[in-house]
Amino acid sequence: MTRILPKNKLDDCIAAWQKAGYSVLAPVQRHDMSSFDEVQKASDMALDLILTERTIKDHFFPQTEPLIKYKISKHDIDSETMTPPDKKRIFFGVRPCDASGLAIDDPLFGWDYKDDYWFRRRNNSVIVTIACAEADDFCMCTSVKLSPDSTKGADVMLRPLASGNGWQIEAVSERGTALLDTVSPLLQESSDQAAPVPQVAEKFDVEKVMEWLADPANFESQFWKDISMRCIGCGSCTFLCPTCHCFDIQDEGDTYQGIRRKNWDSCSFALFTMHTSGHNPRNAQSTRWRQRIMHKFNYYQGKFGVNSCSGCGRCTRQCPVDMGITETLQAITNLPR
Amino acid sequence: MGIQEQYRSEAAALLSSGEVKLVIGFGPGSTADRRRPLFARTPEEAEKLVLDPACISNLTTYLVAGGLLSDGKKVAIFLKPDGIRSLNILVSECQVKPEQVVIFGYAIENNEIRPLSGRSIGDFAEIGSKIRTATPPPAVQKEAERLEAMSPAERFEFWKEQFSKCIKCYACRQACPMCYCRRCIVDVNQPQWVSTSSHTLGNFEWNLVRAFHLAGRCAACGACDRACPVNIPLRLINYRMGKEVKEAFDYHAGESSDQKPVLASFSQDDPETFIL
Repeated sequence: MTRILPKNKLDDCIAAWQKAGYSVLAPVQRHDMSSFDEVQKASDMALDLILTERTIKDHFFPQTEPLIKYKISKHDIDSETMTPPDKKRIFFGVRPCDASGLAIDDPLFGWDYKDDYWFRRRNNSVIVTIACAEADDFCMCTSVKLSPDSTKGADVMLRPLASGNGWQIEAVSERGTALLDTVSPLLQESSDQAAPVPQVAEKFDVEKVMEWLADPANFESQFWKDISMRCIGCGSCTFLCPTCHCFDIQDEGDTYQGIRRKNWDSCSFALFTMHTSGHNPRNAQSTRWRQRIMHKFNYYQGKFGVNSCSGCGRCTRQCPVDMGITETLQAITNLPR
Repeated sequence: MGIQEQYRSEAAALLSSGEVKLVIGFGPGSTADRRRPLFARTPEEAEKLVLDPACISNLTTYLVAGGLLSDGKKVAIFLKPDGIRSLNILVSECQVKPEQVVIFGYAIENNEIRPLSGRSIGDFAEIGSKIRTATPPPAVQKEAERLEAMSPAERFEFWKEQFSKCIKCYACRQACPMCYCRRCIVDVNQPQWVSTSSHTLGNFEWNLVRAFHLAGRCAACGACDRACPVNIPLRLINYRMGKEVKEAFDYHAGESSDQKPVLASFSQDDPETFIL
C-alpha cells in the first residue's frame, strides 16, 4: 500500500495549500508558450507536457533582478537593497531534470558568497517533482546519470498511476513531509500501481567525455571548430538551460538615480568576454562553445563534484540550427582514442 | 538523377576543382523531420548533402557571419526563393559580392522540391519580379488582419504579452541574414543606448529597435520567428513594417540585387507627409 493523491482531489489540495499561505505554480500553456506560472485550479495545469519550454530556474534566478535602488544627491548617496518577495511557493509537477537543475546550482550560489536572492527563493519553495510518463527524442537524463524518476532536488515525489487517476505521493525531504501534512486528509492509501517509467536511451558516455575534456591536449583541437561551425551565437541554449547561471550586473537609470540589476548573460555572446581594450580572449564561436561544454563537464565537476547538466535536452530541442550538448558529447564519445 | 543527387555531384565537382572553398547546404538533423546546416569543404562531405522539403531554413545568414567571404574566395549555397531575396538585399547593401556566390536554387511546392535554373544571382531575376505580386502565407495574412482589426489598446496588450516572454537571447538577430552589424546597437555599452535588461520595457525596446532596423530590408523568410525559443510571432511585426514601406515608397525589398536600399536613398518623389 502506498499513499496516493487522487486526481479529483487536486483542486482541494490547491485550495488547502493556498489557505496555508502558499502560491501554487505549475506547468501552464499561456500566450503560445509553456512555462511555470501561478495556477488557481487543476484545470489550469498542463501536466501532460513532456517538458515546459522554459525552466523553473526562471523563478529562482530571474532573467532580470533588481538588487539596489540608488539616488545620488549633492552630499549623499542613498541606497536601498531590494530583496525578492518572501511568499511561500509550491512548484507542482516539476520534471526530475528541472528539479535536479536547482540542486546542481545550489553549491554555485552558496560557494564563496551566499547569494541571498537565490536562497531566499529556494527556502520559501517546495518542489513537487512528477516522474515522467513519456520522453521525447531530445531527453537525455540517463546520459548524465539521472533518470525520469529521479528524486534529486525534490521535496515531494509524484509517480503517475497506471490507471491515470492520480499519483503515488511520497515526501522525500522534511519540507516535503511538512507539505503533505497540510493535505493528509485528501490523500488515500491504495495498492494502485505506478505507470512504467519511460526508457530513455543513453546517448553518450559521460565518463569518456569527461576524460577527453580533461586532457589539455584537446583544448586546442580542431574538433571544436568543426562541431560548432553552424552555431549562430544566440543565447537560446543557455537561457533555456536549467543549470546555466551566468549573469551580468547593470546600472539602469541616469546620473542621479537608478536601479542596479542582475541580468542573465550567456557565454555564447561575443560580448561576454570582451575586454575594455577591445581584446576578446574568446574571439570565435568555437571557443565560446568549447567554454560551454568545458564549464558543464569539466570545470563545474572539478569545483563542485557534479556536472552542470541535468539532461533536459532543451539546448537541442529549441536550437535554431539543431545543435546542442547531445551531438557534441556523442561526437566526443565516438572520437578515436 | 534527382535534384539532390544532381546538386551533390555539382557541389562535389566545384569543391574538387577548387572553384568554391565551401558549400553551405543541409544535412540530416537530430530527428527524422529535422535538417541542419551542413558545411561541405571536400567532395566527400558534399555526398552528405540533403535536399528535400524539410530544408526550410534560410542559410544566407552564414554568408555574412565571421568574415566568411572576406578572403575573396567563392562559396556555393543552397537557397530557396526567400534566400535569393535575402541575397539580393545583401548585395544591394554591399555586404556580399555576387560573383563570390554560386547558388543551388530550389523551390518547395506541394511538398516537393523543384530546381531553380541558374547559378548566379543575376539568373534569378524572375524570382525578384514575383515579389511585387506575391501574397503572404495565409496564416500570416490571417493573423495580421486579426491584429489590424484590433483597437490600438488591444494591440498594445497583445504585444505586451508577447514581448513579456522575450528573454533577450537574440536568436532572432543571430538567425537573421539582415542582422549583420559587427556590433549590434544592444551590444554597444560605451555608452549604452538600449537597456540590456529583459523586463517588459527592455524587451519592447529591443524588439522595436530591431523592427525599425528591418523596415524595408526584410525578406520575410521567417528565420527570426522560427528561431525564437519562446514563440513570439516576430514575422507579424516584419510583415507590418514591410507593408508600411510598400505603401509609402512602393518598395519591395529584395526585388533585385541592384535596387537602392529604400531608407538609405532619396528620391524627389518620396512622400513628405511627415513635414507639417
